[in-house]
Amino acid sequence: MAAPAVLVATFVVGGGMATSLAQSLGLFPLVGPPSLTVAAYAAQASELPAGIGLSLAIAAASTLVACLVGFTAALVIVQGRWCGKLVAALGTLTIPVPHIIGAASMSLLLADSGLLARLFNTGGGWPELVGGPWWIAVVAEYGWKESAFVALVVTGTLATRAVSYDETAALLGAGRLRRLRHVLIPLSMPALAVCATIVFVYSLGSYEVAWLLGRAYPEPLPVMALQLFNSATLTARPEAAAVAMVTTTLSFGAVAAAFAYLRRSTLWR
Amino acid sequence: MNGTVTVEGLSKSFPGTSTPVLDDVNLSVEAGSCTALLGPSGAGKSTLLRAVSGLEVPDAGRVLVGGQDMAGVKPERRGMAMVQQRPLLFPHLNVLDNIAFAGTVRGVPKRTARVDAAEFLDLVQLEGFGRRQVTALSGGQAQRVAIARALAARPSVLLLDEPFSALDPELRSAMHALLAELRRRLNPTILMVTHDRSEAAVVAENIALFSGGRILQHSSVELMYSRPASLEASRLMGGANEIPGTVCNGSHHSALGVLPLPCDTAWPTGPGILLARQESIEVSAADGAGLQATISGLQGMGPRRLVTLDAAGVVLRAEVPWGRGLAVGENVTMHIPTSALAVVDDSDTAHLYADADERPSLTSRGRAALTGVGH
Repeated sequence: MAAPAVLVATFVVGGGMATSLAQSLGLFPLVGPPSLTVAAYAAQASELPAGIGLSLAIAAASTLVACLVGFTAALVIVQGRWCGKLVAALGTLTIPVPHIIGAASMSLLLADSGLLARLFNTGGGWPELVGGPWWIAVVAEYGWKESAFVALVVTGTLATRAVSYDETAALLGAGRLRRLRHVLIPLSMPALAVCATIVFVYSLGSYEVAWLLGRAYPEPLPVMALQLFNSATLTARPEAAAVAMVTTTLSFGAVAAAFAYLRRSTLWR
Repeated sequence: MNGTVTVEGLSKSFPGTSTPVLDDVNLSVEAGSCTALLGPSGAGKSTLLRAVSGLEVPDAGRVLVGGQDMAGVKPERRGMAMVQQRPLLFPHLNVLDNIAFAGTVRGVPKRTARVDAAEFLDLVQLEGFGRRQVTALSGGQAQRVAIARALAARPSVLLLDEPFSALDPELRSAMHALLAELRRRLNPTILMVTHDRSEAAVVAENIALFSGGRILQHSSVELMYSRPASLEASRLMGGANEIPGTVCNGSHHSALGVLPLPCDTAWPTGPGILLARQESIEVSAADGAGLQATISGLQGMGPRRLVTLDAAGVVLRAEVPWGRGLAVGENVTMHIPTSALAVVDDSDTAHLYADADERPSLTSRGRAALTGVGH
């Protein structure tokens, strides 16, 4: 029954990746005869290490924030009290907001001319949250948006069994913190690992938030790929494809690491 | 902590329900004893167990364990453990670590907790299963591990919420034997919820009979069967024979004639319904001594048969063993041992008693009726 969906997905993903790989290796040139070469990779060799490091750092920080906030929100939601319902409603409202709208909102909120700077009236002493060296606005946007996703997925996992296991642990003498450490976190780990992987891969590969809220240099990989792709020089397109392939390889690495972890987990088996 | 459990005036309602789940429940359970909370589904048994454990906060009343009021005491500090119908073994831990859980969360070094857990694993006859994943256990094995895990917490009170109801009959018998052995060796106070009369009688020495959020009767298993306190209690305990009549001078007068009542109880004079357990009625050939009756129905019940008898216009039921040929329409003699008889209030006629205020109230419903008439 899933065959049609698998076929379409394979065609789109596989076709796109094969085209990018071919273009990055000189096998799909816009002009001239095809020839196998790593020139596109070599042309960006000086920029890639900084781009890779920055992209991994942004993705890792965003994933960490999203998982911490999302897991905390899930615990509040699972309690089922009024604040849990409020958090669930806020999370549900956050999900459909596009990232580009979120990025624009973050800019209006966190920039040195933004709402918070005006509210606190710091007189020019407002930290560089937007376009600053620590990419805080970018991480904040990803953390905010993706935490809602994490919260709802983890809530779905915990809702069916968290209460009964929590009560069982309580009657075995476990206090609140012990239950969190020995029961709720372990039970949530598979769902958290899957969510973290999705958030990490998304943060690593999407460009619009980093492009809007980040600084001009160094560029994260997706911004670098986009700039190269939109470059007036048509010969830069293989370089854009090369950067995209590096990003894809990193994403596959993250997914492979996540599955390796999940395969070891008794809850996943 | 001493394992005596006392429940005083406990009431509990849930939002959206018109009647309380628990209504002024009073119960006292001695340390080291096993009491079955018996009753139909929705009677409030599990809610009482949860209130005792601290998982539910009662609207009124209090729970005392060893004389200490448990109000405001968190479940983890009550010295109790609970085993439910589902074993609820932690899926991320193996069998040994599940049993070692209580020690681990108490801060006992992991190695020590595991050594201790292995002893409890042996106790439930699952030695060698420690390294198994909980998903690799059968239902009976998982429930044994759940019991071992609860006992490893050294609870003064062990709460069992229909722990064996999902097991097949053979496995249930094995678990009953295991529970008896565990009681002999560890002697915790046990409160066990069940809706199975047979299980309650096998496992516990006392039964608290529930209906509609109230305790109808709390007594020994023997008294629960032989001296039900009300018609409702008798019916919930499976009693099938109710003969209306009058008590006079220690005997019950009815269409069956004059039947002497057990002399170990002072039976109040006046209208009363005679109860006779169907398991105690003996059926023999028509020429024997006893009450004459005609068989009007036969129904198989596994190792026994349920015989419906018509005696002087009174319909009675008796459980008799296989072996003797019986046929519908056959005339037989039946004998009801005096020790199998009891008399309870007829709640419809309780208000007729002239000396109602002096009579001991036999049922909560009877008390209410009498009080209403009295005022």
